[in-house]
Amino acid sequence: MKSRNLSIIAKKEFQGLFNERTILLAVLLQLFIALFSSFLMVGLTSMYDPSSLSQYSHFRYSVGYAGNDSEMLSYLQDSRDFRVFKMNLSTAVAALGERKLAAVIYVPDTAPDAQGPVKITLYTLENDLQSAIVDVKLKDIFLQYETYLRQVRTVRITEQPLPLQLPPSNSGDDFYEFVYGLLIPLLVFMPAIISSALIIDMITEEYQHDTLETLISTPVTFTEMIWGKVLACEILVPVQAGAWLILLMINGIAIDNAPLILLQVVVSSLILILLGALTALHYRERTAAQFIFSTALVVVILFALSLPANPMNQLTRLAVGTAGPEQWAVLAATIAIIVVLAYATQRYAERISRKSHSG
Amino acid sequence: MGTLTDIRTIARWEVKKSLTMMRRDMLPLAIVLFVLLVAVTGFSARSGLHLQDGMYRIGVDDPQVAQLLEGDARFTVYQLDPPTLSANRDAFDIVVSGGIVYPGTSERAGAAEIALERDYAKYVNSVYDNETDLFAAYPLWIDTQSVKSELDFLSTQGGQYVSAAPNRGPPVPQGEVKEIPTPSPTLAVSEDTLRSQLVQSNAKNTQISRYMDVLSTTSSTMGNFETPSQLSPPLPFDSIILVFVFIFPLYFTSQFFMMSIMGERIERKGEILLSTPVKASSIIIGKMLPYFMGMLAICTGLTLYLKAPLLIILPLIPVIVFFLANALLIGMLSRSFKELSFISIFFSTVATSYLFFPSIFANVHVISLISPLTLIVLTMQGTAWTLTDYLYSTSLFWLTAAFLFYIAAKNFKEERLFSEKNLVTRMREFLSEILPQKHPFISLFLLAGCSIPFVFMIQMMCLVLFFNLPMPYSLIGLLLLAALIEEIAKGVGIYTIFVRNPSFLSGRNLVFACGATALGFLVGEKLLLFVTLAQISDSVFGSILFLSLGSLWLPLLLHFVGVLIVALCLKKWGKAGFAPGLAIAMVVHCLYNLYFILGWIR
Repeated sequence: MKSRNLSIIAKKEFQGLFNERTILLAVLLQLFIALFSSFLMVGLTSMYDPSSLSQYSHFRYSVGYAGNDSEMLSYLQDSRDFRVFKMNLSTAVAALGERKLAAVIYVPDTAPDAQGPVKITLYTLENDLQSAIVDVKLKDIFLQYETYLRQVRTVRITEQPLPLQLPPSNSGDDFYEFVYGLLIPLLVFMPAIISSALIIDMITEEYQHDTLETLISTPVTFTEMIWGKVLACEILVPVQAGAWLILLMINGIAIDNAPLILLQVVVSSLILILLGALTALHYRERTAAQFIFSTALVVVILFALSLPANPMNQLTRLAVGTAGPEQWAVLAATIAIIVVLAYATQRYAERISRKSHSG
Repeated sequence: MGTLTDIRTIARWEVKKSLTMMRRDMLPLAIVLFVLLVAVTGFSARSGLHLQDGMYRIGVDDPQVAQLLEGDARFTVYQLDPPTLSANRDAFDIVVSGGIVYPGTSERAGAAEIALERDYAKYVNSVYDNETDLFAAYPLWIDTQSVKSELDFLSTQGGQYVSAAPNRGPPVPQGEVKEIPTPSPTLAVSEDTLRSQLVQSNAKNTQISRYMDVLSTTSSTMGNFETPSQLSPPLPFDSIILVFVFIFPLYFTSQFFMMSIMGERIERKGEILLSTPVKASSIIIGKMLPYFMGMLAICTGLTLYLKAPLLIILPLIPVIVFFLANALLIGMLSRSFKELSFISIFFSTVATSYLFFPSIFANVHVISLISPLTLIVLTMQGTAWTLTDYLYSTSLFWLTAAFLFYIAAKNFKEERLFSEKNLVTRMREFLSEILPQKHPFISLFLLAGCSIPFVFMIQMMCLVLFFNLPMPYSLIGLLLLAALIEEIAKGVGIYTIFVRNPSFLSGRNLVFACGATALGFLVGEKLLLFVTLAQISDSVFGSILFLSLGSLWLPLLLHFVGVLIVALCLKKWGKAGFAPGLAIAMVVHCLYNLYFILGWIR
C-alpha cells in the first residue's frame, strides 16, 4: 500500500466535497444549530429537568389562597416569590382561568396534629411553561410545610433516617449536568456518525456510477482506494468536532482537555467508519447499505452506552476534568476493536479486488 | 381512466423493485439486527446508560453515607478518615464529614451538591416508606387540579405574561364565575394503596418515566394525590416525544423515496421510463404512492399502538405530503450521494425545527398552531380543535407541497434529470422551466404569487425564533430578515429570466416585469392573509411580516420599488449585481416598514 496513492484518493474525495459545496451545507447546519443555542440551552435544559426553569424567573407570582388559615399561609406571605391573596375559591379559580393568578391553593380544616393527613388542593394551569415555574417554586413551600407537620407528629415516627446536614443554599444548577453530561458528548460525537454515513456514500457511488473500472485501471489498487476514502472521512471528524468545541467555548462553556477529547473521538469514530465501509462493500448499493448501517448504528451505540466507562462517558469525564488513567485502557480497547475491523476490511477489499481481476 | 391505470402500473413497478432489492441478502441481516436491537435494549434497560458515570468525586468518613451513594454512578466515592479528608480537601467536589456536607466552590461542585441532595431525599423517602404510621411520615398530600386557559396573541405583545398584577387588591375575574365545590378534606384512597404507590414512584426513574407517561393516554386510576417531594412540575415540552415518535419514521421513509428518484437518474436508468407514453405527473404520483401508503400505514400503526385517537392522522397527512414533495425535489436536484445525504440532513433539521418549536407553546399561544404537531398535542390531551385551526396549521404545508410537485412534474424530463451541473445552476434551471418564454409577465405574476406560502413559512420560522429574544432585538432581527426574505422571493424570478436571456431586460420589459412580480406578490399575500393568518397579522409582529391590510397602493409601490432596484442592479452589473441589489432593496423595505408601520422615524 503506497501512502502517496492514499493521499491522492483522499484529496480527490475532498475536492468532490468542496466542488459540490456539501461541506458548506454542513458548516451552515452547524451554524444554524449554534444560532439557536441560547434557545436550545433553555429549552433543552428544561426538557432535561423542568425545575431548572425557575432560575430564569425572578418574578413575584400572584397566588390565590382559599380555605382555612394555616402555617402554609405564613410561609407563602414570607416568601419572596409570591404575593398571596385570601379569596373565595370559586372567584380565585375563575381568575386563574383568566391568567390573573398563577395558582390557587385550598387548605382544609385539618389540625396539624390530627390522625389523618392534611390534604391541600392545588389548582394550576394545564401544560404551560409559566405554571411549570410556579409549581417548582410552590414545591419548596409545600416541602417547608411538610417538614413542619412532620415535626409536630414526630413522636409517632418510629425510625428516623440518618441525619445529613446540607448547606442552606446551593450555587449549582442542572444546566451543568445537562451541558457536560449530555450535550457535549452528543455534539462532539455527531461528526463521527456523519462521517460514517459519508463513507457509505463514497463507496457505493463508485459502484453505482460504474466509475470503479476507471479507478482500478490507474496505478491505485482497490484496497488503497478504500483506505483513501476512510482517511478522507477520518480527517473530517476532528475538524468538525473541533469546530463544535470552539463554538461551545465561544458560548462560554469551559471545556477541559480539548485535545484528549478530540483524540478519543477520532479513535472511536474509526470503528463506525470501518463498519460503514464494510456495509458499503457488502451491499454496493446505497439504500440497502444505509438502512442496514443505521440500524446497526443504533445497536452499537446503545450497547456501548450500556457498558460502564464507554468512550462517550470518557468524553464527559474529560470535559469536566474527572477522567482518570482508565481513559487509556478504554482507548486501548477501542484500538483493539479497530485492528480487528481494519483487518476484516483489508481482507474483504482484497477478496473483492481479486475477484474483479479474475472475473 | 388511462392516467389511473398508468399510475397503478408505475406504483406496482416501484413496489416490485424495492422488494427485489430488499430480498437481496438484506432480509436475514435485517432480522439479525432487529433481534440484536431487542437484546441490546433489554441489556441497557438492566444495566442503565452509563454516560455520566464518575462525573463527581466525593469524600466521606461514614460508611453509611457511602452506602447511600452506592446506587448513583455519577459519584466516585472515596471513604477516608477525617484528617485525610481535610488534608485533601481540593481533590473532592464534596466532603461529608461528621454528618455535615461541605461542598467545594467550583461549578462542578455545585452540580454535585444538587445530585447529592436528590439522592439524600430519595434515601429519606425510602426510610419513611416503611413507617407504620404513614400519615406521620407523610402528613401532607397535594391534590393537583388543572385549569384550562387560552392566551390570546395580542396580550403578549409587550413580552409580558398577563398575570403580572400590579394592583394591591386581589384580582377580580371579568368573565363568569363558576361555582367550584369545596374539596373534601380526606383522601379517597386507602393507606395501603398510597404506600404501594409511594414505593413504586420512589423506585422508578423519573427522568425517563416522565417522557413515557406522555405517550400513555390513560392516566393513573389512583387520582392525583402526591406528597410534596413527589410533585414534579408538568412537562412543558411534551411535543419532543411526538417528534421522535411520528416525524422520524416519516423522515426515514422519505429517504427511500429520495433514493428511488435518485436511482432513476444514475447512469440514465430512468430513460426507459421516460420513453414510455406516460405523463411525467403520472410517473411521479405512481412512484410516490407506495411510499405515501407506507408512511400512512406507519402512522396508523403507531397511533393504534399508542391507543391514541385516529384523528391525529389528519394533521399528519399534509406533513407526509410535504416531506414527499421535498424528497422528490432533493432526489431530482442532487448530483451525488454525498450531496443527497447533506441536503436531506439539512432539510430534516430545518423541517423538524419548524414543526417542533411552535408546538412548545401549545395551549399557551395561538402561534403554536402554525405547526400541525400542535394539533396532535391537543388531540392527545383531548382538547378539540376546529376546521379553521386545521386549515390554519396545515394550509402552508398543502400549498408549498403542491407548488413543489408542480415544479418537479414540469422538470421530470431527460435534460433536467441527467444533467451534471451544480446545485445553484440546477435550481435556476428548474425555475426557468416553469417560466415559459412566451408569457414571461404572466408567469412572473404567478411565480410571485406562488412564492408567498414559502415566504410565510420562512418568516413564521423567524417569528418563532425571534420570539425568544427580548423585545427590541426581536423586532430588529425580524425587520431585517423579513425584508430580505421577501426581496429574495421577488427577485428570483427576474434573475432567472435575466440569466436565461440577458437581452430580455429592455426598459419597457423591465418595468412590466417588475410590475407583474409586485402585483403577483401583493395578490398572493392578501389572498393567503384573508384565508388563514388574520390572527397573527393583527399584532405588531404581524404588521412587520405581512404589511397592513388597509391601503393597497402603498404596499404595491413598495413591492414594485424593491424588485425594480434588484432588476436595475442586474441590468447594470449582470449576475454580480444580484446580491448588492437585494441588500439595497432590503434597506428600502426596512425604512418603509419603520416609517409606515412603527412610525419610528418622524
